[in-house]
Amino acid sequence: MAITLEERPTSDVPTLTVTVASLARDWASREPSRIAMREKDFGIWQEISWVETWELVLDAAHGLLALGVQVGDRVSIQAEDRPEWVILDLATVAIRGITVGFYPTNPTAEVEYLLTDCGSTVHLAEDQEQVDRVMEIDRAGLGSLTRILYCEPRGVRQYDDERLLDWNDFLDLGRDHRAAHDGAVEALMEAAEGDDVMTLVYTSGTTGPPKGAMLTNVNTAYAIGKITAEDGLRGKRAPSADDLVVTYLPLCHVAERIFSTWHMVSCGLCLNFAESIETVTINLREVQPTLFFAVPRIWEKLHASVLIRGNDASPFKRLWLRFGLRLATVIGRDKAANGGSHTVRSRLLAAIGNPLVFRAMRERIGLRRCWHAGSGAAPIAPEVLEFFMGIGVPVYELYGMTENAAVATSNFPGRMILGTVGEPYPDIGFRLDPETSEIQTKHPGVFAGYWNKPEQTAETFTDDGWLMTGDVGEWVDESHVRIIDRIKHIIITAGGKNISPSEIENSLKASPYVKEAMVIGDRRRFLSALVGIELDTVGDWALRKGITYTTYRDLGEKPEVLELIQGVIDGTNEKFARVESVRAFRMIPKELDHEDGELTATQKIKRSAMEDAFGELIEGMYA
Amino acid sequence: MRGRPNLYTSYEAESQLFPTTTHKVALGLGLLVLVLMPFDLPVINQLPFVRFLGDSIWLRLVNKMLIFTIGALGLHLLSGLAGQLSLGHAFFGGVGASTAVLMGGKASANLWGWGLPMWVWLPAAGMVAALIGIAIAPTAVRVRGLYLGIVTLGLVFIGLHLSRMFPEIAGPGDLGRKWPRMELRLWKEEEPFLDFSRDGHWLWFDASKHQKTYFFLLVIVVLMAWWVANLGRTRTGRALAAIRDRDIAAEIMGVHEYRYKTTAFALSSFYAGVSGALFASFVGQVPPEQWSLRASVTFLAALLIGGMGRVSGVFMGSFFVIMSTRFVEEVVDWAKHQAEADGLFSGFFDFFISRGTGDGGLISVAETAMGYPLPASALDEIIYGVLIIVFLLFEPLGLSGIWMKVRNYWKGWPFSY
Repeated sequence: MAITLEERPTSDVPTLTVTVASLARDWASREPSRIAMREKDFGIWQEISWVETWELVLDAAHGLLALGVQVGDRVSIQAEDRPEWVILDLATVAIRGITVGFYPTNPTAEVEYLLTDCGSTVHLAEDQEQVDRVMEIDRAGLGSLTRILYCEPRGVRQYDDERLLDWNDFLDLGRDHRAAHDGAVEALMEAAEGDDVMTLVYTSGTTGPPKGAMLTNVNTAYAIGKITAEDGLRGKRAPSADDLVVTYLPLCHVAERIFSTWHMVSCGLCLNFAESIETVTINLREVQPTLFFAVPRIWEKLHASVLIRGNDASPFKRLWLRFGLRLATVIGRDKAANGGSHTVRSRLLAAIGNPLVFRAMRERIGLRRCWHAGSGAAPIAPEVLEFFMGIGVPVYELYGMTENAAVATSNFPGRMILGTVGEPYPDIGFRLDPETSEIQTKHPGVFAGYWNKPEQTAETFTDDGWLMTGDVGEWVDESHVRIIDRIKHIIITAGGKNISPSEIENSLKASPYVKEAMVIGDRRRFLSALVGIELDTVGDWALRKGITYTTYRDLGEKPEVLELIQGVIDGTNEKFARVESVRAFRMIPKELDHEDGELTATQKIKRSAMEDAFGELIEGMYA
Repeated sequence: MRGRPNLYTSYEAESQLFPTTTHKVALGLGLLVLVLMPFDLPVINQLPFVRFLGDSIWLRLVNKMLIFTIGALGLHLLSGLAGQLSLGHAFFGGVGASTAVLMGGKASANLWGWGLPMWVWLPAAGMVAALIGIAIAPTAVRVRGLYLGIVTLGLVFIGLHLSRMFPEIAGPGDLGRKWPRMELRLWKEEEPFLDFSRDGHWLWFDASKHQKTYFFLLVIVVLMAWWVANLGRTRTGRALAAIRDRDIAAEIMGVHEYRYKTTAFALSSFYAGVSGALFASFVGQVPPEQWSLRASVTFLAALLIGGMGRVSGVFMGSFFVIMSTRFVEEVVDWAKHQAEADGLFSGFFDFFISRGTGDGGLISVAETAMGYPLPASALDEIIYGVLIIVFLLFEPLGLSGIWMKVRNYWKGWPFSY
C-alpha cells in the first residue's frame, strides 16, 4: 500500500516563515511567566521562564551579530544538554545562521573534521575538556573560526587565546550591541525564508566520515506540524504547555532536538535538563516527565534496572514483584496483540496490578505520569516493549532519520503492531522500492542535501526525487512497516543466502547480559558473533554465583560467563532458521568506546573498525 | 512542585518541614487530636492510645511528659544536633527552677523571693540558665567526648553543693520550698487572670487544672519544638550538624567551632531552664536532689531510645521514658487480676506474679517487697536499662529509627532501594 505522491505537498506549509526562533518569541509574549526550562544546579531545579529565555536568546543573538556572524554562517556547539545549548541554537536561527551540534563525546580528530567541514565561525565549547579539543587543533586549518565561547570558566580562565570568550561576557557583548542596534535581530527574523538552512545535523557515520544534513526552516516546520500537532504522532491528544520533558540525549541528534527543542517551542512545554547521563534515572524520578523519548539502549537499561533491583529486594517484596511481573507479561501481551489498547482482561488485571505494584514501579523509574513514550533510532526487543506496556507506560516504536527530519513512520496509539515501526504518517510520500525493498520518502520534511557534498546528496535521491533511506523494509498487514536492516549490512553467506544481521544482533541484545553483539558471516561458511557483556548485569549475576573477577575482560572470559552467553546464543538460534544460526562466538575483550573509534557517537558499532580491531578473534572462529 | 514531591525548585521548598499536602494534613489532624484529647469526645475517645490519655490520671502524666520534652529538646540541641555529650543537663534544670523560685516565690524569714509573675520568671529561668551555659562553655568547648561528660557531670555536684550553700533559695534541707504556681497575672496583684493550676471555668466550659495545664504546656511545647525543628535547617543548625559529624572538618570548612558550641550550650541550657522551672512549678515543691545525675541520665535515655538527632525521636523518647513506669504498673496490675481470676490464662500469669516470698513469681505485687522477687517499680528500671542496651546495640537510631525503617520500606516499594 505504497502512498505515491508525485508532487511535494506544500499546502500546509505556512506562508509567513515560521522558525523555531519565531515560535519561541510567540510563547514569550503569550505566556511570559510560564516556565520554559529547568536546570539542576546545586541540588535545586533552577527555573527559567519563557520571557527570561527569550531575553537570553535576544542577548545571545545580538552577541552573535556583535561577533560578526552573517546570514548563513555556522555556529557550532559541543556541549552536554544545558539551557545555553538551546539558547544559542535559537539565537543562531533568529539571525538566520546555521546551528551545528557536535556530540560531547566527539574526540579531537572528529572535532577537527567537523569544524573544518562546516566552516564554523563561532564555536561553543562547554568546559575545559571541550575547549582543549579545539585548542589542540592547528589554527591554520580553522581559518573561519573567530571565537570559542565557553560556559564553564573553570580551568579555562588562565588560557591565553584571544578567541576565547566567556558565555556571560558574550551575553554582555550582546546587551551592548542590543542597546546600540535595537531591532536588528527582529529584522533578521522577519527576513527569514523557508529555504534558509537552520541546522546541520551530522550523521553518525557508521561507514564513512560524518555528513552534515541540512535542515531548512520548512523542514522543521513540517516536522513540528507532523509530530506535535493533533492527529499527529500521538493520535488524538496533542502535547500541551503543561507537559514536561527530560532532556538527556545529545541535542545534536535530530531525535532529541525534535523531542526537546522543537516540542518546547511548538507546544510551550517545559524542558528539564538532566544533570548527566549517569543521573538520568534520578532526574526522571524527580521530574516525572509526561512525554518521554528514549533509544532502545535506555529502555533496556530501565528494564534491566527493574529486574536487578527486584532481585535485590527483600524476600516479601521479591515474591510480590514476581507476581507483578507475571501480571505485566500477561497485560503486555494482551495489549500488544490489541494494537496497544486494553482488552477486557488486561484492563481487569491492570486494575489489580496498578495499586499493588505498577504505579509504585512507574514512580520509581520516573514514568508514572508519562502518557506517551517513544522508542527509536535503533530496533528494540519486543519483550522490552511488552514489559513497559504491561506496567502501563505506553511506549511506541517509531522510525525516521535525519534526512527526512524524522518524519516517516510511527506506531499510533491504538493501532500498534509489535515488531514494526508503525504506519507511515498520513499524507506523506512513502514507498518501498519494488526491487530492493528500500524505504523511500518524499515530503516537505526531506532535507536540502548534505553540506558541501553535492555528489553524496545526489546519491541519496532517486531520479524522481525520492529520498533513499538506506533501510530495507517490508509491509506487515499492508499498513505497517517492519525494518529488516540497513542495505549495506545485509550479509550474503558463502552459500548465497541473504541474511539480516541486525535481527540476530537485536535478539542477542534483548538479553540483559548482552550489551554489544556483531554478527559476522559475509562470504563465510557460517555465521559467528562478537559479543560484549553488560558489565552491570553480568557483574551482578557473577556476584550472586560467587564468581570473583577483576576486570571487564577477566569477567568476560570466565567459563561460567561463556556458558551464560552460550545460553543466550542458543536461545536466539532457536528463533531463527538453520542457516541463520550463530555457530561460534567470541567475547569482545574490552568495553567498546567512541573515543577508540569502535562506536559512533550514537553508540552504533562501526563494523569496519571492529573487523580491523578484532580481526584475529574473527579469523579464529573460522580457522 | 505540586504533584512532584522530589522536584525542588528552591532551597525553601527543599527544606520545608512539612513539604507535601499529606504532611500538612497529617500535622493538622495530629494537632487537632492533641487539642481535643482531654475532652471525652465521641471519635477521639475511640482512638487507640489517645483514648485513655485524656483521663485525668493519665493527663497529669502527659503534662509531666510535656515538661520533660522541653528539657529533652534542649539536650537534643546539644547532643543530638551538635553531638556534645552532656551529663549535666539536670543542673541547668535546677538553675531554671532556682531562678523561678527566687523571682516568683514568696519571701519569708529565711527564704528569698520577689513574688514576680510567671511571664517574668519563666523566661528569666531560661535566660539565667543560658547565661550560666555560656559561662561554662569556655571550659566545656575545650574538651570532647568522655571528658566533656566528666566536666558536665561535675556541674551536677556543684549544683547540689550550691543548693546547700543557699537554703534561702533552694529551701531548707531535703524538703525544698513552695514554688510559684502556673498562673498569669499582670504584676504582683492577688488574683491571677489566668490560672492553670486550679480547676475553674473557661469561656464556656469547665476545665480541670490538669486540662488547663495541658493546654498551657501544649502551646509552649509546640512552639519550642517548632523552633528547634526550624533551627535544624538554618545556618546554625547546619553548622552544629557539621560539628557533630566531624569537628575538625567543620572548622576547616569555616564553621566557627567555639562560637557554635557556645551557642549550642546556651540554647540547650535555655530549654533545660524553662523545663526545670515548669517542672518545679508543676510539682509544687521539689528537693534539690531532683536535679541529680539520675535526671540527667533520664534525659539521655529519652534521646537514645527515641533516636538521636531527630525532633520526632525526642517526642517518642520522652513519651516512652515518662509513660513506661505507668504502663508497666498497669500491665502488672492487669496480670495480677488475670492471675486471680479463673480465666484461661490465669496459670500463665500466676507464673509471673508473686504475692509474697517464695512462690516463685518474677514480679512482686506485695505491698512491701524487699529483694527478690522485684516490685513492679524496680522492674520498670530494669526494662529501661535493658532497652537502652538493646537500642544501642540493635537500633542506634531509636524509636524514630524504627519508624524511618518502616517508612523507607514503603517508600522503596516495590524495590528495596
